[in-house]
Amino acid sequence: MPVDLSPDATEAEAYAAADAWVREHLPADVLKAALGAEWPEVAAFVADPERSTPWFAALGDAGLSSPTWPCEHGGLGLSAASAGAVTEAVTQYRVGRTMADFVGLALAGPTIIAHGTAAQKERFLGPLARGEHRWCQLFSEPGAGSDLAGLSTRAEQQADGTWVVNGQKVWSSFAHLSDFGLLMARTDPSLPKHRGITYFLVDMTTPGVEARPLRQMTGHAEFNEVFLTEVELPADAVLGELNGGWAVAITTLMQERNGLTGRPAVGDGKADELLRRAHGNGSLEEPVLRDRLLRMLVEERALQMTTLRAYAEAGRGAAGAEGSVRKLVNAQLEEEAGALAAEVDPLTALSWPAGGAVPAPVEEFLAMKTTSIAGGTSEIQRNIIAERLLGLPKDPDPEKDKPFSERPRTS
Amino acid sequence: MTGETGATASEPAGADDLVEFAWTDEHADLRQAVRRLMATRAPLDRARAVADSGERHDADLWRTMAEQLGLQGLAVPEEHGGFGGTLVDVALVAEEMGTVLHGGPFLPTAVLAPAVLVPLAEHDGEAAALLGRIAAGATTVAVAVAEGRHAWAPGLVTTRATGAPGSERLTGRKDLVLDGADADEVLVLATTDSGPAWFRLDTTDGPRRERCATLDLTRPAATLHLDDVPARRLGGPDTDGAAVADRAALVASVVLAAEQVGGAAEVVRRTAEYVTTRRQFGRPVGSFQGVKHRLADAAVRAEMARSAAYWAAFQRPGTDDFELGALVARSHCSEAFLQTAKDGIQLHGGIGFTWEHDMHLFLRRARLDATLLGDAAAARERLLAHALPDLAPSATEVA
Repeated sequence: MPVDLSPDATEAEAYAAADAWVREHLPADVLKAALGAEWPEVAAFVADPERSTPWFAALGDAGLSSPTWPCEHGGLGLSAASAGAVTEAVTQYRVGRTMADFVGLALAGPTIIAHGTAAQKERFLGPLARGEHRWCQLFSEPGAGSDLAGLSTRAEQQADGTWVVNGQKVWSSFAHLSDFGLLMARTDPSLPKHRGITYFLVDMTTPGVEARPLRQMTGHAEFNEVFLTEVELPADAVLGELNGGWAVAITTLMQERNGLTGRPAVGDGKADELLRRAHGNGSLEEPVLRDRLLRMLVEERALQMTTLRAYAEAGRGAAGAEGSVRKLVNAQLEEEAGALAAEVDPLTALSWPAGGAVPAPVEEFLAMKTTSIAGGTSEIQRNIIAERLLGLPKDPDPEKDKPFSERPRTS
Repeated sequence: MTGETGATASEPAGADDLVEFAWTDEHADLRQAVRRLMATRAPLDRARAVADSGERHDADLWRTMAEQLGLQGLAVPEEHGGFGGTLVDVALVAEEMGTVLHGGPFLPTAVLAPAVLVPLAEHDGEAAALLGRIAAGATTVAVAVAEGRHAWAPGLVTTRATGAPGSERLTGRKDLVLDGADADEVLVLATTDSGPAWFRLDTTDGPRRERCATLDLTRPAATLHLDDVPARRLGGPDTDGAAVADRAALVASVVLAAEQVGGAAEVVRRTAEYVTTRRQFGRPVGSFQGVKHRLADAAVRAEMARSAAYWAAFQRPGTDDFELGALVARSHCSEAFLQTAKDGIQLHGGIGFTWEHDMHLFLRRARLDATLLGDAAAARERLLAHALPDLAPSATEVA
């Protein structure tokens, strides 16, 4: 049952409705813990599937996990700004869906809404909103990173209309835990590389799909290489047009750039947290470090203001090359935050009790290069900004207009 | 900060209802009108011609600005004969002027002076009358705060006021006074036994106004030598002159930030045009990533600067958010414009290093703007109190 909220609700109305709903429906012990800022207890609730599964289902039924989606597909049809207020209301209790659901809620959902058939929307959107399905991206390949359109995973259509897929994907976050995947595969190698790709929705339990977790430099294993061997897909696994997968992928990629800079609000952020730590351990008195922290504060606030402006000026759910601006700045900020975390507290970042939890500055330092590579490197974002916002010439690509099958093979 | 500084030139009626980035048709109309006026009467060539000839400004344009668009009265409240525009309105005008490096008396007369005079006018008919003359385009006003190495540090002013109320005399030296050699009126911040206060200089009697050579060729400035010269104190007996100066600097920071946005965006636009047409190695230089990426970074800085300047302009003066916005804008926009101006010259290569090319005019303006109201590092230091409100209050005080 969706919360009673008009699609034209203001931010304040949306916030109030979401806040009231959470207070009414969140199990009493968890609400009490959240109100008392006892966050480990709240985190235990979210991590316990027995308890969090019904909670996420209820949250989804209320429309609060997918507030921008159309009402007929389990959303609330809200503007980006009002949807941001809903998300803010839920996240203040730290009981919203986790980053492991980012691909599903932020990428798969909007891409299916934009390009899916009625049957695909019916089948996937409800369960996505309710947290029943986890999704991953099957885009990058060992031979196709920044040059994503150079992918060579092959999908061949059979006489009965079904597809057989062979290839290898990489950097697929949470693929080993996912129920469905967003797959880009080559369906016509006689066409130039951007024009012979089709976009598929893949059931990850299909025989021949094998996800192998890769250990990252952080020590965690969130992303995977995924092997696709004689994977049979039904005809209705195609999302969008045959050989029209690049346009569908652009929808996904723009959502990704747009979604990474957080909710549209100006306030407390990573720089504030680092300033508090520096104040706490006395390192704030060091003038050079102090100014670097304050410089980061300025840039983070300016990015928040830019996100707010993007939402205000773009209206409902629009995303464009402007998202690349924010993604690039966000990547620079995360890198600086990771570097500063280690400088504010260098000894904690360098050694800690064996067997104990890894301290935050270590995690932050090691994760600092995540965003500048994931979702399109900062170099690719600069190309997009230069070409689309400034109108500079496109990077030369000798393979662009040739049939994919005629490209020189390097490996 | 005292209660007396509660109103500013730019505080709009119903400001509680301001929503960030809620652009209106009136905003668009104002921007178009100023853009058209600048394009026809004050293009960048004109700024250079005025500077080359040593002219102070284009007096005909000044009259047109007052008579046709009322720009001098935009920051003056209606009760004092102005148009009572919002800070967003004034920022839009400044941005458009920034793209053509328009200089002359506009910033000191129509931005700095109203920001100082509006709180003073609450207790002082003379200040109110001056506001009316500014709004009518009938007078020009210089604002003298800077001394020595301090651009805008109200608490460190050493120019001294002596004598009985109503017949004070000022002694000291004021530097970097924009339009200081020619303005009809000069407002001076000086110390008294009860702290800093604002004075209106008697320009007919005594002050030596030394016209200076300036790095920014488009904004004339002077040093004022005040040797026991007559002046009249403005405001009420309890007016905290330092607080008025501080608040004025925050308001003006937002306007100046918008000017910096205009300058930075124009450098990006001109440079993008140049690198698309200039060819080397058989292709446009703008197709090389070394060039593309530097310019992309500049465009990103300019976009962020625009967000920061206008987010601040949409806040209500006097609030914490307003101060935060003004300080973020001063820090980010100052450095963004300066870096972008440097990159613009770099990407133009040798031609960008010539006197005839316009790029250095932007660099010169960027350097002035980055200092005029206090530098970026000082703004950041004040932001500490916003991130750590529990910290000792001394962090928020102006030096």
